Amino acid sequence: MLTQPQIFAIIEGTIKTLQITSIAIVAGILLGMIIAIGRISKNKVLNGITWLYIWFFRGTPLLMQLFMFYYMLPLFTLDIFGTAVRLPGMFPAFVAYSLNSAAYLSEIFRAGILSIDKGQMEASKALGMSYTQAMTKIIIPQAYRRLIPPVGNELIVLLKDTSLVASIGMFDLLRTVNQMTNATGRWQYYLYAAAIYLFMTSIIQVAFGKIEKKYSAYE
Amino acid sequence: MIKLEHVYKSFGKLEVLKDINLEVKPGEVVCVIGPSGSGKSTMLRCLNHLERITSGTIYIEGEIADQRENNKDVLNISQEKVQELCTELGMVFQRFNLFPHLTAYENIAIAPKNVRKQSDAEIKVIADELLEMVGLEDKRDEYPSRLSGGQQQRVAIARALAMKPKIMLFDEPTSALDPELVGEVLEVMKKLANDGMTMIVVTHEMGFAKEVGTRVIFMDEGRIIEEGDPREIFDNPKEIRTKAFLNKIL
Ligand SMILES: Nc1ncnc2c1ncn2[C@@H]1O[C@H](COP(=O)(O)OP(=O)(O)OP(=O)(O)O)[C@@H](O)[C@H]1O
Ligand SMILES: [Mg+2]
Repeated sequence: MLTQPQIFAIIEGTIKTLQITSIAIVAGILLGMIIAIGRISKNKVLNGITWLYIWFFRGTPLLMQLFMFYYMLPLFTLDIFGTAVRLPGMFPAFVAYSLNSAAYLSEIFRAGILSIDKGQMEASKALGMSYTQAMTKIIIPQAYRRLIPPVGNELIVLLKDTSLVASIGMFDLLRTVNQMTNATGRWQYYLYAAAIYLFMTSIIQVAFGKIEKKYSAYE
Repeated sequence: MIKLEHVYKSFGKLEVLKDINLEVKPGEVVCVIGPSGSGKSTMLRCLNHLERITSGTIYIEGEIADQRENNKDVLNISQEKVQELCTELGMVFQRFNLFPHLTAYENIAIAPKNVRKQSDAEIKVIADELLEMVGLEDKRDEYPSRLSGGQQQRVAIARALAMKPKIMLFDEPTSALDPELVGEVLEVMKKLANDGMTMIVVTHEMGFAKEVGTRVIFMDEGRIIEEGDPREIFDNPKEIRTKAFLNKIL
């Protein structure tokens, strides 16, 4: 079975996985909301910038984005500014995953807002509400509920994709068990990792199911 | 109270309103009839800026609500002014458009609270009174999904009235309802008319038009073809197109 140092290593790897996931989902939601508003707005500049952002982060591999913040950034800054800027510790991963999930989440938010019947905005305007009032009191609260399942999905995808950080030398859950397998030649470690991943994704699924139920009171 | 002068409206190449001239005086109940696509909804929607007119002038309560020429503003009207004008007009939609995430009471309360910034106590008085007027005191805390179509439309009328509008616009308020639910909505509208509310009602309910309508307007292909006393129009239309239309729906 597992030795004590191995157990600690697996726990540590799991914590890293969770850290990246939770930071990326929180930052991604905040940034994603701003980008979604930019995409919906009628301002051409805002619209263009946010379109470009989404185009880039959805159109290139996540692994490449990770490499850009880990390998490319120091080389790039050294070349251009004469000093290598290195993001400390886990920050390359935090930044890459946050920016990447913001792109996906913003499209989820945008679709959610656009899925609300046009009549809702019209009724709000006819009552004398401003665009902002209609958005915050009428449209977003309705979109909110519809967003819960796709955001749950995005969170699960994100959690699984954190395994890519192995390629920038970080010891997340997968890399940890991978190394144990290489060192010992035993096959069981992958099953432990699979069990932990499944445990985490199942919790997310159940939790989001509960949240969705809670907010479906009016339907 | 409301006046439209030479109002035109196009959607791209499609000309939907052509030289509409109309004046509605306080206390009038104007019923608008006409075939599908004749521009009835568009005319109502131009009044509260849900659509912008291509050219012409609209007056509400003696003030210019919109004045445009070739899709350009002649008179610049600020967003705040538009919002203020909207509160003079209450609108009731064919498909109710209640806010599904709010209860009947909250639907009625939301505009007084956010637009008028009235206190909760003030709002409660208004909302309870309106719920009683439309006969839905017992549905106060229900969400729209739990209400029948007729009940939803009555809440929608109460919601519009909560802003104390001077004029009520109804766009086919009963045509999405099952026949047995039409009566309860018309009842509320009759009550309003008898209380002296100025109303423009797009409807094909002849009974309603004859009973409380002060004037009927027949529209076709974006023009007002004929207007006059309800009985006169229904029983004795002058224009061929009006006759043809009435024959079809009666
Ligand atoms: N937003 C829009 N964009 C393009 N065309 C539109 C738009 N709204 C309405 N139209 C067109 O304008 C014409 C008039 O529409 P409107 O809804 O005013 O007619 P209506 O008299 O209310 O008809 P109905 O009895 O079917 O409700 C129709 O041909 C319609 O297709
Ligand atoms: Mg219509």
